[in-house]
Amino acid sequence: MAKSSAELPLPHNIEKSPSGWSIIWREIFRDKLALTSLIFLALVFLGVFGTALFLNQQEIVKVDLFSLYKKPSAEFWLGTDYGGRDVFGQLIIGTRNSLSIGIMVTLMTGVIGITIGLVSGYFGGLIDNLFMRLVDFFMILPMLMMVIAFVTAVPKYNTLTFSLIMTAFLWMGIARLIRSKTLQEKELEYVQASRTLGSSHLKIIFKQVMPNLSSIIIVTMTLNLAANIGLESGLSFLGFGFPESTPSLGTLVSYARNPQTLQSRWWIWLPASLLILVLMLSINNVGQALKRATDARQRKG
Amino acid sequence: MWKIIVRRLLIMIPQVFLLSILVFLMAKAMPGDALTGMLDPNIDPAAIEAMRERLGLNDPWHIQYWNWISNAVQGDLGQSFNFKMPVTELIGQRMMNTLWLSLATLILTYLIAIPLGILSGRFNDTWGDRLITGYTYIGFAAPLFIVALVMLWMFGFYFSWFPTGGSVSPGAVPGSFSYVLDKIYHLLLPALSIALITTVGTVQYLRNEIIDTKQKDFILTARAKGASESRVYNRHILRNSLLPIAAFFGYELTGLIGGTIFVESIFSYPGMGQLFLGSIVIRDFTVVTAIVLLYGIATIIGSLLSDIILSIVDPRIRIK
Amino acid sequence: MALLEVKDLQVHFPIRGGLFSRQVGEVKAVDRVNLAIEAGQTYGLVGESGSGKTTTGRAIIGLNQITGGSILFEGADLASKGARKQNNVRRDVQMIFQDPYSSLNPKKRVLDIIAEPLRNFEKLSPQEEMRKAQELLEQVGLSADNVLKYPHEFSGGQRQRIGIARAIALKPKLIIADEPVSALDVSVQAQVLNFLRDIQKELNLTYLFISHDLGIIRHMCDRIGIMYKGRHVEEGTPEDIFDNPRHIYTKRLIAAIPDIDPLQREVRNVFRRSVSEEYDNAYRSHFDQDGLAYPLRSISDTHMVAMPEKG
Repeated sequence: MAKSSAELPLPHNIEKSPSGWSIIWREIFRDKLALTSLIFLALVFLGVFGTALFLNQQEIVKVDLFSLYKKPSAEFWLGTDYGGRDVFGQLIIGTRNSLSIGIMVTLMTGVIGITIGLVSGYFGGLIDNLFMRLVDFFMILPMLMMVIAFVTAVPKYNTLTFSLIMTAFLWMGIARLIRSKTLQEKELEYVQASRTLGSSHLKIIFKQVMPNLSSIIIVTMTLNLAANIGLESGLSFLGFGFPESTPSLGTLVSYARNPQTLQSRWWIWLPASLLILVLMLSINNVGQALKRATDARQRKG
Repeated sequence: MWKIIVRRLLIMIPQVFLLSILVFLMAKAMPGDALTGMLDPNIDPAAIEAMRERLGLNDPWHIQYWNWISNAVQGDLGQSFNFKMPVTELIGQRMMNTLWLSLATLILTYLIAIPLGILSGRFNDTWGDRLITGYTYIGFAAPLFIVALVMLWMFGFYFSWFPTGGSVSPGAVPGSFSYVLDKIYHLLLPALSIALITTVGTVQYLRNEIIDTKQKDFILTARAKGASESRVYNRHILRNSLLPIAAFFGYELTGLIGGTIFVESIFSYPGMGQLFLGSIVIRDFTVVTAIVLLYGIATIIGSLLSDIILSIVDPRIRIK
Repeated sequence: MALLEVKDLQVHFPIRGGLFSRQVGEVKAVDRVNLAIEAGQTYGLVGESGSGKTTTGRAIIGLNQITGGSILFEGADLASKGARKQNNVRRDVQMIFQDPYSSLNPKKRVLDIIAEPLRNFEKLSPQEEMRKAQELLEQVGLSADNVLKYPHEFSGGQRQRIGIARAIALKPKLIIADEPVSALDVSVQAQVLNFLRDIQKELNLTYLFISHDLGIIRHMCDRIGIMYKGRHVEEGTPEDIFDNPRHIYTKRLIAAIPDIDPLQREVRNVFRRSVSEEYDNAYRSHFDQDGLAYPLRSISDTHMVAMPEKG
């Protein structure tokens, strides 16, 4: 979109028309489940990122030998773990970390996948062939194992490298989707019209074609966000995600790999498990509502 | 027909080759090699150096790769430094366990998915359908490791209906009927955990497919001719909807790979996934490389299978 | 000198097949086409679908790769590399598309659509841009209040007017109109056609008018070229083509024009049957062994026809 003309003194009474966004909002508000999910997510985001400002991560992950495996109490709302660390505090920090990395990976895979998909679909031919063979190759890699192997292999392991590794094996799905949509889109005459009007390929790809894929991009990214949060917590659960000093929701669940904890100390792992489940459900609900909004046939009204 | 298979096979060759190089380089990139962790630090560094030389660890990477791949093609994937036995032998036992787990999962998946999908599609917008749709909604979002953990907690520990680990009770005698039953008993809970998640896609697909087909002209014609409702479903709708599911079998197989890692780890089931995680922790990289390679090849074969079945089932793909 | 002169234009598309998608052949979509348009005139290209008329237009504006031949625009050859950039041809040659629904980007406001060429070639302030867009809208007969609306709020005829506004925004010299009215209701067609003629006079435009509808072509054009399977079969003034068609394919096309007068029905039927018979009999002498037209040959100052010389 070029500069907005909103700040200009507009001549006469110019009518503005509803954009695609209003349809999306309407769809979410019609769908009670999606609306509830959205409000819940907003609260979690605000709560977690807000409280995390006042919580000291170092303080929370510090081992306290005098309060091992405490049951939930007024002091420790959700008890403590095997290192005497406050589970509730870890839950807040963990949610923040899980959400952050989920968003980061989703954005990075999105940027890479969308760019490759658009370029591949728009130009076709040799470029398309090369990219698609690359996608095919990445698709056959056993993703989970590759991520685990690379996590062990990288010398400097931190949040950034972790999300880069995840991104490296997760960009293909969206690239494929965007490519196939771009293939359809570029057959429309407005793309050729732009050529005849002197727009460059780059301008056409990102300013003409991409806005027409915006709804599918938003839907896919939302659904990807849920999947990425699940994957990250799964990896942390296996012990190949965040280091223990940076707890994630998966780290809390991973304490349940100790059968005694699983059996008798539910307060350590169950809240985190439920939170992961509810987070993923809510994000998916919003995603599905968005999907319906973009598909006129499925719209609720 | 044969053209697609030949082309598909031709694509496979560079894929396997690239996969092997990537896997090999990955193993090389891992910190330390097999000797670092294994040897007593008091041993003379010169002796270590001699050992490295003897094992070929000082050669340039492409020579090492060549040695590794030519051995691998002959079925020799090297020696596990931890277990002191050939990797092929080590993986052999574990692979059977994982194969049984995958098979059980597949059977359970179809046993659950097909009836649910048909019910949901045939009686759409009834209470039953809403329940099933609700299940797929949750199943679509729920991560496998949490489902498996809750299953283990509930049915393994809380109700004690199922064993909480292993692939067979200690002391069972191989070959006997009770041994087989015991193995199945150990398989059920892990397999069910994966199946509960993997069914979701199939149920949703089948439901949409049946609802779509229900309103097509040829079904209306069949009804108009006076075919009974069950005949319409068995002869016309299901025949059209179930075939693609058979074709997705291969992709299903590749989907299982990630699942077995989680489930084997949670249920301490001695399969390849568990071996992989164990080996990576103790840096037994010959085992790691071998497993990643095998899983990669399994994925390639899975998608090959599906593409071929799909091209047989769906004539539109054959034309391309 | 003609504004546009196309010489021996060839556009071939590869056919791929086999195991490795090698090129196994080619389709000669445009096979040695010649045409010339004088400034201010309208040249009509007619033919059935697949005859190469659209590809010819698209090759001239640069949407299709040229295999051979030359396109001279004001004397400069557009087929040579880089020529399009240097000579401002992008500004001077514009196109009106067939489908008013897909040729306007549904996610863009009318302002953005009309201003797209301006943004590419002229550096205008947002205010100037807005004023220009409103002027153009009024010029094509739409209210200036519409600038912030989206394409889906307009009817087909209105959309085509927006497409025209976009095409004339840069004050081009040549406009290629590819079936500009065939997607519109018949009632709207005449409106848009008359409007196209009005702005032609107003802005001194030259048209290359592509259509399958001979009636429209007769109404609009100063010269007509008939294409069949990538080649010209006949070219001439409307009088030459309609009153004195020489090629059997042209005759058949003209015979197929519907006549609304019911009293003429029997006469038309007899005429059609005779043309159809002639077509079957004379096919061999009008097309070569591949079923393609022969090269064009002049039979008068203005009239050319693709028939073999036999005296």
